[in-house]
Amino acid sequence: MSRNTLIKIASLILMVVSFIAYIAGASAFPIASENLLPWSVWFLISVIINIVLWSNVMKLLTFSLAVIWFYAFVAGLVPESSTAVNLTSLDWSDPDAVAEQGALVFNGKGQCSACHTVDTSAPKGRCPDLTDIGLNAASRVPGMDVRTYLIESLYEPANYLVTGYGKIMPEVWKAPIALSKLEIQAVIAYLESLGGEIDPTDFEEPIDRADTAVAAAALPPLLTGDPELGKKVFVTAACNACHVVQGVESPAAGETSADFEVVTAPDLSEIAAFNDMRYLEESVLLPSVQIVSGYGAVTVRANGITYQGTLVSQDTEQIVVRTKTADGVEEEHTILLSDLDEEPIEELSNLQAKGYFTLTLTPTDASASVTGEIVSETEETVTLKINGEDKTFSKIDVKSQLTVVTFDGDEIVGEHISGTIDDDEIVLNVDGSEVVIDTFDVEEVTFTRASGKKLLVTSPMPENFPLLLSVSDMTNLLSFLSTLTGATAEATPAEVEDASAE
Amino acid sequence: MSKKRLYLILGCVLVAYVLLAIAPVFAQDLTEAEYRPFPKIGSRNAAWIAAQLHLLFGSFILGVPMFAVIIEFIGWKTKDMRYDRMAQEFIKLCMGAFSTTALLGGVLVFILIWCYPKVMSKLSGIFGPTMIFYVILFFGETFTLYLYSYGWDKMQGRHKGWHLFLGVLLNVFGTAIMFVSNSWLSYQTSPATQYGILSEGRRKSWIEEKLAADPSLTPETAMEGVTSHTMVPLHNETTGEFMGTLWDAVNNFTWMPVNIHRLVGNIAFGGSIVAAYAAFRFLVAKTKEDKAHYDWMGYTGNFIALCGLIPLPFLGYWLGREIYMFNNTMGINMMGSLFSWLFILQAVMIGVLFIGANYYLWAGMGRISGAEIYARYRPYMITIIVICVAIWMTPRTLSKISSASELSAMGGANHPHLGLFGLMTAKNTAVNIIILTTFLSFLFYRRSGKTPTASWGKVGNIAISSIFFLATVSIVVIGIVGFTVPTDLRVNVLTPYQVLVALAVMAVVTVVDIFMYRKATTSGTIQWGEMTDRSQYVLILIAITFTSLMGLMGYARSGLREAWHIFGVMQDTSADAFTPLLSEAVNMVAVIMVAFFALVGFIFWLGLWGEKKKQASTDAAEAAITAEGDD
Repeated sequence: MSRNTLIKIASLILMVVSFIAYIAGASAFPIASENLLPWSVWFLISVIINIVLWSNVMKLLTFSLAVIWFYAFVAGLVPESSTAVNLTSLDWSDPDAVAEQGALVFNGKGQCSACHTVDTSAPKGRCPDLTDIGLNAASRVPGMDVRTYLIESLYEPANYLVTGYGKIMPEVWKAPIALSKLEIQAVIAYLESLGGEIDPTDFEEPIDRADTAVAAAALPPLLTGDPELGKKVFVTAACNACHVVQGVESPAAGETSADFEVVTAPDLSEIAAFNDMRYLEESVLLPSVQIVSGYGAVTVRANGITYQGTLVSQDTEQIVVRTKTADGVEEEHTILLSDLDEEPIEELSNLQAKGYFTLTLTPTDASASVTGEIVSETEETVTLKINGEDKTFSKIDVKSQLTVVTFDGDEIVGEHISGTIDDDEIVLNVDGSEVVIDTFDVEEVTFTRASGKKLLVTSPMPENFPLLLSVSDMTNLLSFLSTLTGATAEATPAEVEDASAE
Repeated sequence: MSKKRLYLILGCVLVAYVLLAIAPVFAQDLTEAEYRPFPKIGSRNAAWIAAQLHLLFGSFILGVPMFAVIIEFIGWKTKDMRYDRMAQEFIKLCMGAFSTTALLGGVLVFILIWCYPKVMSKLSGIFGPTMIFYVILFFGETFTLYLYSYGWDKMQGRHKGWHLFLGVLLNVFGTAIMFVSNSWLSYQTSPATQYGILSEGRRKSWIEEKLAADPSLTPETAMEGVTSHTMVPLHNETTGEFMGTLWDAVNNFTWMPVNIHRLVGNIAFGGSIVAAYAAFRFLVAKTKEDKAHYDWMGYTGNFIALCGLIPLPFLGYWLGREIYMFNNTMGINMMGSLFSWLFILQAVMIGVLFIGANYYLWAGMGRISGAEIYARYRPYMITIIVICVAIWMTPRTLSKISSASELSAMGGANHPHLGLFGLMTAKNTAVNIIILTTFLSFLFYRRSGKTPTASWGKVGNIAISSIFFLATVSIVVIGIVGFTVPTDLRVNVLTPYQVLVALAVMAVVTVVDIFMYRKATTSGTIQWGEMTDRSQYVLILIAITFTSLMGLMGYARSGLREAWHIFGVMQDTSADAFTPLLSEAVNMVAVIMVAFFALVGFIFWLGLWGEKKKQASTDAAEAAITAEGDD
């Protein structure tokens, strides 16, 4: 056998061995207990030798193997973490190790990292950034500590929503994510470790997995409505004035088919294809609970101008509102949140539910007013973020502003000291001096306890919509909606004829 | 074909049939055992290897007859026997792979029943009737293939029409088989979780469930208020029991998109493997005639692959959209989270495919005299393709799967300027432009060495140039507008517009071009066999890339289910209940690729061997006759 042949065979063997070793993830070729070169380099060397020395068939084989290896090599360069987590117990003697396991669940099976970031410099995710959540969670809901808040957030994520984020997080203990209690404990430990202390104590799940399963089995949704009748209700209740359903006469679609931008409500042609029955029921009975992005109605006032229309988009700095004039001309306005006008607030209750996101108030023990972003509120207090710090204020100990309009048309604004419209006189502090006004001259009195910027998104659907329908109409309507899966929605011959007749 | 081989094929068919037939019974007896380990490599890896190999061979034997019958038809109509011979050669390749496909199918069923009895019990409980149907179709396909292949020489002349009918029938059986088996796997990914009408078929289980949940009910009271319109969920929320009809299960979200995607993918894959086979034969050919023949065969295979490749991104987009529709989280995981990197790797592979296909066409123009005039466009075209591929490969949502240090090394989750190209609107624009550029390459190839004689030739050229220009501008403008509109408008309106523009350009330009060059004068014919060896390596590269891509996307489709055998219905509680890393998955794909090409090489070698033996005996007989004559 010639030397050339020996080299060729040796090179071929080296190529096959290095390919197998690379794929199998074997440690680098050992020579005298030192790792000389990784297998990928050996493979490349052998490929070059083979291509130079061998002729057609073997050259072809070498080339083929090199291409296969190349893709494996590229994939091997990708930084990634495994979703493999097999938690059978948690070793609380080492809380950091538990947190590490939690991080694996967070990035893997729990799919949390699909929406949450843990990096303030990362672009805004679909859900809030969780940097320092182990510390910040304590100030999310007054009276709720970090652990309780995290437990609540994982088991019932819709209970407290961070301002600016929608209700999109699934209940992770339910299918399809279906985290076990151990896995949730590990995730909580991980979240606590982000800026806080890991609490190793056990907790009781706020849900009963067995009961929930039994209840679900005992009460499977049962709809007895007639979809055909529901289709008629869809028209008679004027749902089709705003919503489009393929195969259903739609004035909205008829008017605007040339311009897709002016559809005023979501297309429902495939609504049941990607939403369950509960969502459909909630959308009909409580339309403002969950509003499809781009279809919410808003009324905002910025720089003295009022904009009433559809909220097209929103981020932390600005909103885009689409308005329509009486002539049907559409305009989109980009409005900075900082440009929104402050609106007077008469009652300091349910501020966030009313859409307020900033608040300006004057505590009774302070001389100047304070302004901040509303973080949370209870019946008695409100927490504001002022210059990056959370500060809690009493809703009762707040100086009130009073605006008094007299029959002469004068408007007097000042800090309220005493008296109401029912008393003989009202005393105000206007620019440091006391002003006494005889209520006999007063036409109107307005209390202002604070002011704030407001962005309230509501559903354009009438709030009293459920009251307009009988129970049977409602059932029929829901049955009809539940048939709108798109995939099976086909017009009947009769409908086709109707459509062509029109 | 020898009798031995026929018996082997029949034996495989029988094994597959027996295994399928006993599957439900076998699984029923073993419901206690959820999983059984597969020695050494583990259950998942065993099932993975068998399934992927079966799928690759299946794809080949389903794809090849589709274009074989079309080529045969062209040969019949043009009376050019070269086409007929090539189609027959394709079917011969197919015959070799057919028995291996059946064998691998049997092995896969065996592994699944052995390792995953409970899953198979569940699936066979739902899909039982379709499994019987599958076996019937399999018999139909087997015997039609035999008739089609063995009857080729005998059914020439006036019987050709019947032979073509057999070819069509073969494709009908093959497509139906694929549709049936796709229903099983697509159900696993996107089980019908929505509501269905309470039909007679499921009324019984419905009543039983109600009675079990509430013992105070009677069968009569349980049915109070239940009408023919009553809607019920298709799965019991606790037990996961399927209560829908068979059609509910079959016609799930991803079934039809997977069907169509695979149908077209099979054509592209079949074409690429045939081209690779031709490339191999070209490289080892000893005579000019052989080189010319396999050059032509390689060109045809690549052309078929290209025809299949062009619509594949659109069909993939449809499949992706249906996945989003079925489950938003699954959709996000697919391209915005766990599998983000996979889709970057996919872009690398598709980039290689398009660049390779274009290179082959340009190399092919070298064997046509008069094609030089188009050479000046190549630098621009390759620049456009490379830029578009780069856009397609731009990552966007890596923040979800990257650590802080990695993000910092990258300079943030997205590049401040280039990150914009990571959005789907930019990527869709890039894909459409790549497709149009590839189409232009093909157009130049087609025109090479020809001069149109149509009086309106100049006008036609101006019209075609204008169409290309306007289409490109439209695609880019739509892409830019896509940055400013809400996602639903982009997904449902703008992207389909882009696709329609690209498809319309291809359709209109093809028609205009055909009429323009109908009576064209030829300055030089194609010198078949004059291709460079390098171009043949490109064909091999395309075939391997295609195969790797199929393996990779198979991992994505299965991986999307994560720790579920049937997503949201039946949980995977085995030790393998996690998604393997991309690197691990691609290593596994590499192993499968090696096994696949080794098997394919062996089968093709067997064919060659048989051919050589036949040729040798014919030569010997001829020599004997000549010798006798001499005597």
